[in-house]
Amino acid sequence: MITFDNVTKSFGSIKALEGISLEVKNGEFVFLTGPSGAGKSTVLKMILREVLPDSGKVLFEGKNVAEITTKEVPFLRQQMGIVFQDFKVLFERTVAENVEVALAVSDVAQDEWEKRVKHVLKLVGLSNRAKLFPSQLSGGELQRVSLARALVINPKLILADEPTGNLDWKTAEGIMDLLEKINKEGKTVIMATHHEGIIKNSKHRVIELKDGRIIEN
Amino acid sequence: MSIHTKTAIEAIKRSPFQAVSAIFVLALTFFVATTVSILVYSSSKALSYFETRPQIISFLKSETGSDAITALQNKLALDARVKDVKYVPKEEALEIYKKATEDNPLLAELVSPSIFPASLEFSVTDLKLAEEVINEIKNEAIVEQVGFTANIGGEKSLSDVVSRLKTISYYLRVGGIVFVGALAITSFLVLLVIISMRMTSRKGEIEILSLIGATPAFIRSPIVLEGVFYSLIGVISGWTLSFIFWLYVSPSLLSYFGSIPVLPKEPLSFFLLFAAILGTEIVIGFTIAITGSLIAVKRSLKKAR
Repeated sequence: MITFDNVTKSFGSIKALEGISLEVKNGEFVFLTGPSGAGKSTVLKMILREVLPDSGKVLFEGKNVAEITTKEVPFLRQQMGIVFQDFKVLFERTVAENVEVALAVSDVAQDEWEKRVKHVLKLVGLSNRAKLFPSQLSGGELQRVSLARALVINPKLILADEPTGNLDWKTAEGIMDLLEKINKEGKTVIMATHHEGIIKNSKHRVIELKDGRIIEN
Repeated sequence: MSIHTKTAIEAIKRSPFQAVSAIFVLALTFFVATTVSILVYSSSKALSYFETRPQIISFLKSETGSDAITALQNKLALDARVKDVKYVPKEEALEIYKKATEDNPLLAELVSPSIFPASLEFSVTDLKLAEEVINEIKNEAIVEQVGFTANIGGEKSLSDVVSRLKTISYYLRVGGIVFVGALAITSFLVLLVIISMRMTSRKGEIEILSLIGATPAFIRSPIVLEGVFYSLIGVISGWTLSFIFWLYVSPSLLSYFGSIPVLPKEPLSFFLLFAAILGTEIVIGFTIAITGSLIAVKRSLKKAR
């Protein structure tokens, strides 16, 4: 599904990625780990085409992401569900509306929204929070909203950038259980984390980065 | 309700003062635009009235026989430069006089039909031909005198009247266009500033939407809709105020100008005139709103990238 072929990226004099090559297959659950500044987020941003490589290729389902035109970028992103460390929820919209936005963005017919929102909120355990605003939720619940928004469009790939970074251990475990559940349903998950406890508790593939290089795969 | 309409309405509710400022400026612009349009309409109607109504009256010598009158009438009717030829006998002239002096019946009693000359009234197809035709008719043996029914502001000839009206009409048009143009530019800039402010306040939301795959059209739709709302409300408010104003002053104006059709006398025509102005203003308002919003969105998205 995802292929990095000798990818290099620099931000000024800082080398974010240096000759990265990796492959992620359909249905895999992959951890990207490493200390801060190792290049984990840059890898995710490249898949999202938020950042372009200086050299090398990033392929999503065989298509070179760098060759996608600006107009096609939204359609590339609509195939992915993204979960952020800082949740990135819309604070002026309710939980249900935050999830609906993803459906609207992906041009899903409005008569399907209610059913899909209900289903996904039930999946993440937020059925009774649908009408609440983000300011009325805890950190764990906000992350669940972010996850629900990512899942509702039924994406092929889930990109999670430190989804447990701002959460306590127990809440983080809850989020991990959800990501495991999603993965078991056949979705590919790439999760950037430096949470060693989470990685140790799981049996999934780990790609460790340091100073922009892969040191373990 | 679509998600974009909902977002636009929520944005208006969140910043009511920005919304009021935009609507106020747009309403003022379209109030002035409607008023100027009516003034231009009135001046052009007055101009066309004086240009085309039967203004030339050739008073006939009292001893003229009916054969000679008929001969001149037929001659005029066959003249391509002349239209609407009408013979007014002495009796009818007296009736016109009586009607004009009905406030003072004594004046009517003092006169007899014999002192009013019969006349041939007509107009010309083009005002430029008036003097030429008048000079020709003056030379007719049965014509005593030639006069004009139009005479405002002490002008001595028809061309003076028309030239004065043309000047008024020209200044109204140019002044109106300049004034309305300046107001339209102000409205456009106010919209641009307000939409730019809205974009800045929605920066975080735009970033999130872009990351989850929103197209630029999806991002800009609620913002453009907001501009369209402002514009629509502004156009309707400004037009309504002007409409009420003209509705209020029209009886006095119509009575003051008498037979000069400065405003339509028929209610339906009056409403149709205003409806046409409203339609045009809606198109202009939409153009201002959509152009202003798109420019503001484009600039803000460019900065965000």
